[in-house]
Amino acid sequence: MGDPDPIAGVEIISIRKLNIRWMPVLFLFPSVLCYVLFKYYPLLNMIYVSFFRYSIVNPPGVFVGFSNYTEFLSSATFWQAVSNTFVFFALYLGLTFWIPIVQALLLSDIRRANAFFRFMYQLPTIVPAVAGILVWKWMYNPDFGLLNYWLHFVGLGPYLWLNDLNMTKLAIVLPAVFAGNGISLLLYYSAIKSVPTEILEAAKVDGAGPWRRIWTMLLPNIRFIIVIQFVAFMSGVLLAYDNIYVMTQGGPAGSTTVVSMLVVNTAFQQSRFGISGAMSMFMFIIIALLTVLQNKISAEKD
Amino acid sequence: MNRTTKLSATFALIMAAAVTVSACGSSNNAENAASTTNANEPVATNATEPAATNDTTQTEPAQTAPEVDVEITVWDKPHADDLDKAFKESQFAVFEAKYPHIKVKHVEQTKEKEREQFMTAVAGGEQPDAYLNPYPDMESYIAQGIPADITDLWNSFEDKASYLPSSLNAATVDGKIYGVPNSMYVTGLMYNKQMFADAGIDPAAALKDWDSFGAAAQKLTNPGKGTYGYAILGMDWADWFFEYYVWQAGGDLTEKAADGTAKPAFTSDAVVKALQYYKDLKFKYQATQKNVVQSLDDNQKDFYTGHAASMIAGSDWFGGLVSKGMDLNNIGFSALPAGPSGISPSQVGGNYWILNPKASPEKQKAAFTYATYFTSKEYLEATLQFAKENGIFPNLLYVRSDLDLSKYIEGMPADLVANVQAAANNTHLEYFLKARLSPYIVKPIQQVLLDEKTDPLTVLKAAQDLAQKEVFDKYNAELKK
Repeated sequence: MGDPDPIAGVEIISIRKLNIRWMPVLFLFPSVLCYVLFKYYPLLNMIYVSFFRYSIVNPPGVFVGFSNYTEFLSSATFWQAVSNTFVFFALYLGLTFWIPIVQALLLSDIRRANAFFRFMYQLPTIVPAVAGILVWKWMYNPDFGLLNYWLHFVGLGPYLWLNDLNMTKLAIVLPAVFAGNGISLLLYYSAIKSVPTEILEAAKVDGAGPWRRIWTMLLPNIRFIIVIQFVAFMSGVLLAYDNIYVMTQGGPAGSTTVVSMLVVNTAFQQSRFGISGAMSMFMFIIIALLTVLQNKISAEKD
Repeated sequence: MNRTTKLSATFALIMAAAVTVSACGSSNNAENAASTTNANEPVATNATEPAATNDTTQTEPAQTAPEVDVEITVWDKPHADDLDKAFKESQFAVFEAKYPHIKVKHVEQTKEKEREQFMTAVAGGEQPDAYLNPYPDMESYIAQGIPADITDLWNSFEDKASYLPSSLNAATVDGKIYGVPNSMYVTGLMYNKQMFADAGIDPAAALKDWDSFGAAAQKLTNPGKGTYGYAILGMDWADWFFEYYVWQAGGDLTEKAADGTAKPAFTSDAVVKALQYYKDLKFKYQATQKNVVQSLDDNQKDFYTGHAASMIAGSDWFGGLVSKGMDLNNIGFSALPAGPSGISPSQVGGNYWILNPKASPEKQKAAFTYATYFTSKEYLEATLQFAKENGIFPNLLYVRSDLDLSKYIEGMPADLVANVQAAANNTHLEYFLKARLSPYIVKPIQQVLLDEKTDPLTVLKAAQDLAQKEVFDKYNAELKK
């Protein structure tokens, strides 16, 4: 038998390439269309607008090149907002990110009534986020709030909470410590449960204690989900708006004004959409860079 | 290709796409820019050239109904829980019967983020033909060309003489008119008569000047009972009421020159004195709530629940407070205590009907007819009658001068009526460039209210330096372009 005809081979490959499976395309089309319309189009339009002194009545206005970028980059107010944003990021990272991981590790060792505990962890997530924040805001009231009332029983306080410039950021992050990790916990729990029990049992037989099993077996095996969660967490925190707006509107004295808030205020209170778009672009680049960096570090460890 | 190169290529692609899109649109942009003088330069237009886009000509009297059917969109549909929903809908029907050629599409606006909704509609080319816009946004919106120039419509409007001349102030730039006055209010000091009586305080003497008010507010404060003298506004709208104290001290927060340029006056004697008084109310007299950054709603709640003895309020707030359970006879209203300058100006506010500059002349005329009908004597008397029949305390300040309020306020406390009208004797519009300057002024106010060690002049100086660099320098530069 001789070699196959090379020309005929090329024809077969071409036909195969054209053999499109329409069903997946059909299913993917709505989501791709939504992404293009509601994610990529606004993103490209934002970049476009950021180069104009935008006129809302007669868009897009006057082309100003990079002057919107230079204007906000030379603004102390902007850098204060950037600083606040990263302080929030550090606080959320230090106080909340690890909690569902620990909860999932503990939950995975609970045999009795495990489903009940999983349900209980999910329960707070059904409270609308804004409603939860409003309850906390009421609890923080220095005159009539519950928190100071409870704390005085253990000899603490009274604290001014949202009235104390040194405490406001912490007061905003604190509610997230106690609630809101339900879905993350389930993801981590599922990942832990997917680790083969034989490996863990073998490690136990070989004398590995609980801490060692966690550090050397469980955490490395669920690292993929931690990385995914971290990327979502990072963009979520760096673009946080609702909870801070409801709690403090960016105050007092600008101590909780974050970049996303500055973007909204610049656009809708000052009608300066060009600079607002430029600031959004800045945050897009920062988050993109941090995500790439995170992926790179993670890949190197692998 | 390594990761760094891939990353660079990705960003290069994004930026190239952006520049391409930008370049594609540039010819169109140039056309737009040329056809709309300074429409994208809010500052310049405001000071020197009223929005040149609003050049639609109207010459016929507004009262003349169009001969062909015209449909207009108005964002004034009442909310389901509004007390006057049925009344408003009946008035819509009256208008439709009177002007059968004007078909009105009433759109309901949600109660939150109204400004964002409106700006989004403008940006999307969906600006309503008539929209009720509050005073503070008029300056900025006129500069951007958002409201139509209705000077010709107004000048040919037969009933224009019945409107208070002062009601047009916030809608007039360089002699051109951009809004039909719809409502007005005046601010003053609202107090709880019973709490004053219980403390043995004579309101007339207590509300005379800053010192007497501070001492009275201190006396009205009783932490054991959870009551305090004065609900101070320290949240992110803090500059709203703070500016009154600056006026009382004889100054203003900004100065506008004849050539349109502006400069800050944050470190002027009047502003420093006003901020020092705020500090005294909190720390010297200890007469405010502990949570000085609580919302305006919370301040009102403290007042109608009997926790706060006084607060600054608008003359149109009575109805809301009574609906929350307050006894009207227990509410006192006075001009604000006089400051070091010996005067006590109040702020006048309200809203205007603004029209869509891009609407056809027919639609603009129909929208103008609509706006003037809903500020007509006929309509306002109907609202007063409705308020009287339903026990609602009416706003005592109207945009018209031909309303006889006496028959609608029978049984209302006479001193209240007289004091609201007295507060309107000396009124003031809000400070210039408020939309851009607000955060720069709120910051030192909050710093002083939250930290006893803060020196008012120091924080005002820092705020002024920052505002000069980030707002005034840019504003004045844009003006010269």
